[in-house]
Parts: sequence; C-alpha cells; structure tokens
Amino acid sequence: MKQLSTIFVLVCLLAIGLFVALQRAHPRVSDRPENAGRSEVVFWHFWGGADRDVVDDVVQRFNASQEQFFVRSIAMPGNNLQAKLFLAIAGGDPPDLVNQDDPIVGDWGWRGIVQPLQDVCSPEELRALDEFLFPAAKQLGSFDETMYAVCNGLDVRALYYNLTALQKHGLQPPRSLEELTEIARIITPPGTLNPETFGYLPDARRLWAWGKVFGGDFFDFETSRVQLTDPAIVAAARWMAGFGNWYGADTINRFRQGDQSLPGKTFPLLPIQDQEVQGRYVMLMDGQWRVRDIDAFIDRRRQQGLAYPEFGVCALPAPAGGRVDAGWVNGNFFLIPKGAKNTPGAVAFMKYWIGLGDPEQAAITCAAGGWIPVSEEVVQTNVFQAFLDERPLFREFVRLAGSQNQTPIPVIPGAPMFKREVEKASATAMAKPDQSTEAILQEANTIIQRRLDKLGRRVGQ
Amino acid sequence: MGRLNFRLTKASFDQNLRFLKRHVCRYAGNVVVSLMMKRRNLIGYLFASPWMVGFLLLIAWPFAASIYWSFCQYDLINPPEWVGTENYRRLMQEFREGRGFAVALQNTAYYALLSVPLSIVVGMGLAVALSWRVRGQAFYRTAFYLPAVIPIVATSVLWMWLLDPQDGMVNYLLSWLGVPGQNWLTQSRSAFSVAGLENAAGWAAGKNQLLLFGSKDALVLMSVWAVGNAMIIFLAAMGDVPESLYEAATIDGAGRFRKFWHVTLPLLSPVILFNLVMGLIKSVQTFTSIYILSEGTGQPGESLLVFSLHLFLSAFSDLEMGYASAMAWVTFVILVVCTLLLFRSSKHWVFYSSQ
Repeated sequence: MKQLSTIFVLVCLLAIGLFVALQRAHPRVSDRPENAGRSEVVFWHFWGGADRDVVDDVVQRFNASQEQFFVRSIAMPGNNLQAKLFLAIAGGDPPDLVNQDDPIVGDWGWRGIVQPLQDVCSPEELRALDEFLFPAAKQLGSFDETMYAVCNGLDVRALYYNLTALQKHGLQPPRSLEELTEIARIITPPGTLNPETFGYLPDARRLWAWGKVFGGDFFDFETSRVQLTDPAIVAAARWMAGFGNWYGADTINRFRQGDQSLPGKTFPLLPIQDQEVQGRYVMLMDGQWRVRDIDAFIDRRRQQGLAYPEFGVCALPAPAGGRVDAGWVNGNFFLIPKGAKNTPGAVAFMKYWIGLGDPEQAAITCAAGGWIPVSEEVVQTNVFQAFLDERPLFREFVRLAGSQNQTPIPVIPGAPMFKREVEKASATAMAKPDQSTEAILQEANTIIQRRLDKLGRRVGQ
Repeated sequence: MGRLNFRLTKASFDQNLRFLKRHVCRYAGNVVVSLMMKRRNLIGYLFASPWMVGFLLLIAWPFAASIYWSFCQYDLINPPEWVGTENYRRLMQEFREGRGFAVALQNTAYYALLSVPLSIVVGMGLAVALSWRVRGQAFYRTAFYLPAVIPIVATSVLWMWLLDPQDGMVNYLLSWLGVPGQNWLTQSRSAFSVAGLENAAGWAAGKNQLLLFGSKDALVLMSVWAVGNAMIIFLAAMGDVPESLYEAATIDGAGRFRKFWHVTLPLLSPVILFNLVMGLIKSVQTFTSIYILSEGTGQPGESLLVFSLHLFLSAFSDLEMGYASAMAWVTFVILVVCTLLLFRSSKHWVFYSSQ
C-alpha cells in the first residue's frame, strides 16, 4: 500500500509540475499589467533577420495605439509554418492571424482552412478594402469572387541592369525582347563553355512572368481550363529553352550553383571584387528587395573611395504582340484561420498594417522594410515619397505594382501543385532543348487538368 | 466429509460447520491472494503505463488511422471522405506513367542500392583498420565516429559548401586527379544511369566534358561520410570473434587477408545482415538532408524527390493526406518484402558462431 501511495504522490507531483511549466511557457495576457483589459491577438509570421525587426516595430506601434487589442507576434521562420498551422487548427487552438506568401489562398479558402473576410468584416470594411487595394493585391487575396486574404505587401519582378557594363559593351538597356536576346548573345556568345558573366539568363521558374509578357494566360477562369499550350506561353517557354540550347544545361547548372555559393547570397548582379565593373550577370530579373542590396553596395564603394557602376531597372521587355508592364506578382498576405478566436482584433491589426484609415503608418512600415505598399494612398504619403526619393530604383517597382498586367499564379484550389508542375515543365524544357517544348507543356497541362478536375469533382462542381 | 450433509443431526451439523470453515477460509485466502496479485499487476501496469499510453496514442492509433485514411480523401482539416481504392489506383497510374510515385521509387532505390552497401563496405573497412593496435587508436576511433554525431542540418550545410562546383573542396581534390569539376547539386543526371553512361561515352569520344556525378551521387557521398554507427557495430562484433579461431588459422598458415576472409567475415555476417536491414530502412526514411539540399522541392529535375519528401509534400503542401497515407503503406509493404527477402537469403550467406 505504501508503494502505491508513493507512486500516486509522484504522479501527482509530475502532473502539477507539467501544469506549472506549461503555464509559465504560455503566460496569460491578463498576468501582464501593461496589457490588462485588452484582448490578445495571436499572430504567426515567417519573417526573420532584419525583416523581423520591422514586424516587431509594427506590432509595437499597433499595441501602443490600442486600448482594445494586444498583438502577440510569434515568428516561425523556415518552411514549417503550414504544417504547424494545420495541426493547430485540427487541435482547436489556431492563431488569430497568419501571414503567408505561398499561392495557397484559393486552396485554403476552398477547403475552409481560412475564413472568408465577409464573415469577419463589415460590408463597409469590405467596400473600403476593395477601393483601397491595388488590382494585383485584390487578385492575390480573392477566390471565386470571395476575399479570403488581405495582401500586406506586393512582390514585383523587374529587369535589373548594370548600365556601366552594358555601355562598356557598347549596348543600351533593352526596349524589346529582341534587344534583350541580342544583348544576352553579344555579352555571352552561345557555346561559351565556362562563362564568368551572363548578359541575361532566364530562370526556369519565371515562366510565370515571361508567359504573361508574351501575352499568354495560364488559366481560363470561365471554363476552368489550364492553358499551358496557349501559343504565347509555348513561345515564352521556347524562348527560355533557347538559352539551354545556346549554352547547354550543364553549363547553366554549374553557373547557377555558383550564384548560390556567393557570400551571404549576394545579389549576383553586383561585382564581387573591388575593381570589377560587372558581376555574374549584366541583366537579371529579380524583386524589389534587391534595391536595398544595390544601395548598400554603392554606399560601401563610396565609403572606400572606389568607383561604382550605375544600375537601372525596367519592366520586362515584351515581344511584338506581347503585354506591356506585365509580369508575375506575388506578395505577403494576412489570413484568419478557421477557429480563430479574436477575429475583431485580427481585422483591426490587418487594417492598421496596410494603412486603411491611416496610410502614414503603413508608409513607415513599407519604407522601413523596403516593401511595396498595397495601395496608391500609401504610395502618395510624404513618408513613402521621401523613401522613393532616397531609393529611385524602387519607383519602377511601385509603378509596375499598379499595372493591370501584373498577375499572380491563378488563385484556385490546387494552385501549389499547379505552380510546381509549371516550373517543372519549364525546367525540363530548358534542360532538354532537344525535346519538343510544346509536348512538355502539353504533358504538364494534362497532369494539372486531371488533378484540378479531381479536386473540382470532390466538391460537386 | 467432502460435502454438505443436510440431515438434521448434531453430527451433520458439526460436519457441515467443519466443511464451511475449511472452504470459506480457502475462498477468503484465494480472494486475498488474488487481491495481492492484482495489486502487483496494477503496480506493473502503472510503471509500464507511460510507454503503453505513448505506444497506443503515438504509434498504434496513427498506424491504424493511416490505413483508413489511405482509402479517403483527407486534407487534415475537414473530415476524411471515403474514396475507396482511388489513392492506390493513382499510385499505380503514376507508376505506369513514370512520374510522381515512380520517380520517388526510382530515386529512393538508387540511393538505397548505392548508399547501403557502400556504407557497409566502408564501415567494415574502417572497423578493420581501427581494430589494429596502433598508437592513438582511441583518437582515430573517435575521429571517424564524430561525423555520425554531428546534427544532420549542420552536415548538410557543410556538404553544400564542400560540393560547390566552383569553390568546393571535392571538386578541388578531383582536379588533382585530372577530373573536371562536377555539378554535384545542380545536375539531375546521376553516374549510374543511362544518361550518365552516355555522358561518359561522349567524354571518351571527346564530344563533351565528363560530368558524371549529380545530386543523388552527392547524397550517397554524404551518407558514406556518416558511417560511424555501422563502424562501431562492426568494431564491437569483431571484438567477439574468438581469438582461438585466429590462432588456429595462423597455425594453418593463413595470412592477414585469409584470416579476414575465412574467419572475420563469416563471423561478421550476422552483423552485416543487421546493418543491411537497418540501413535499408534508414535510407528509405532519409528526409532532413534531402529537404535541405533541395530546399524542400526535390529539385534539380526531381532527382531528389525520394519517398519521404514526396510523402511530406503531398501531405503538407498539397494537403493530400489520403494519397500520402497510401504511399506510406505501399512503402511499408515494399520494405517488408525487401526485409523478408534479405532474411530468406541470409541462410545462404549468414553464419552464426554456433553453426
């Protein structure tokens, strides 16, 4: 009996210890005097490094401005946010707000993983959002005419060029696709075995951008059909595969891996050595965040008293019959998961972040992070205009953000699979230029359509 | 005497009283003993309960649930919807069309077929070398075991640097041998494949550069680097080989190689079988290093899309938990069949010291 009693006491102590430990790990908000009376909004995001400081700053500003809500941000850098979120929802304890940047809005909305905004916002708020956001930002967050996500920052791709290096070769920035191709050919002649610099080299993942520039559409929303065999998409893929033909897949692979091994993942457009004028590329498609890298590079060279090349940015040049100012846009967006407890607090924080009602606050955030605002109202604030004056290369990205031809990956159920299969097909076309590009795209088209049809059938569409 | 007497006499009464006393006592004793046994069992169950609860909740339940899910469309959030054998039919279709599951099967088989035997050979070779009594033996043993205890994430990042085509140490060492730098992590073509052989033939004919090794070969190389565990098991097993056998072999005039071939190797065969089975299971479960090397995509050209990664992406990216469960079960069956074949074949090549 004595033994049993001892075990019983030990088990009780263990349970009490665990309970206390868990309580300490997750203190109640009401235990903190500074948050007394305010309801907590749990916010999960993926930002790390310098970006995390910007996020913490927004959260602090919001909390300081609030008497009703208090945001507790939890950083989950890496790729595991999704799996943790699903388990949290399944376990009945999801966060109130999540930030994401993968093309999952259509998929998650359709599956009921996230709540439609009409369930958590008033009609006035929805109308205000509709008027406030850029078209691309609205597209990113909507599926089947229902808004599921609020975009809080756009990512736009454009063509960076090293003007000094171009001029050294007697060239000017490209105004058409033909000029871009010619520049690439002159700087790195086809057949070069171990090139040190590429004039331009398309990334297989960017068929999403070039397909749009060539005038194609990847998906027909009216008929729910995948359109990878759209002549414009095929032409874009053929043009990209042409580079594989010029240099060979092995040479391209080797060069690409060299990009990855640059110290601190340096922007490969930038020269590495002090006396160099050009980096690994003379022209490169990339996002607005590289402006910060270029400015830091120029500052460093200035401080060292060294000469530095001049850089520029332009929209992706289109071929004849293509689209102007077109490209692939994605971004970061807020989602309110199924089962979120504090939806009013989550909505209040979303509105504060994007600047709905107070664009100056959003401008401070965008300027600090080097992010593209989601509304023209924020762009026009004094704070953001001052930021653009400081970083003129950024202007082109902001201009492109407002273009109707900047579109995301189709916001539909199965979009992550759609994205993966398109990029795989594009990579295959570039790696195997001897194979028919059309056949590769046709095969991918069949696979994607089959999977999408299966998804549609399950919900009785 | 052995039963109750129902006649109404004093003798009968006394007899019945004795009978009841004896049997009631025995019954009470049995109850007491039974209670004591139950208490002992209870204590036993109480001690075993953490493991039992853990087993039931974390192993038995998911194991059973995944069988059911493999016949369902299930996205983790909404209730599973019964779809019959659709997930298994999809696996078969992918197998026929040579994509998805078939690619994962092919990549996993390539990795397992190369890494497992290679790890055993290298592990055993190291064990033999480290069993020689030389100065600093403990240091060498520690040094060779060390890679096995380094976290996989750190090892993977380290290998990404070592295998860099331009500045990596591996290509630098290959250049000493006159071999051109290989596209270790960016080339989907692997050395032991038709395309790899074509590349080698083209190089021999002077048509192209020799670019033999690809991402799967890099993975095999990484696995061989961490053979410390296999090495330790071999070392322990070698310590159990009776010295008398070596003495007998010496008297028979056997040299070092013959002793190894005829004495050490046969007696190590049970350990080789063990390492083979465990290595096979481990190779199919390999995930972290592949996830890091391919940044969670299985690229380049799906060459790193192995079972575990394909399963993870299907479950947590495409939210197809039913399909992922079906794949897990097919993988399990394949592993069981391979293990059974290994055990079946063992009677021809595994020798126990008692034999």
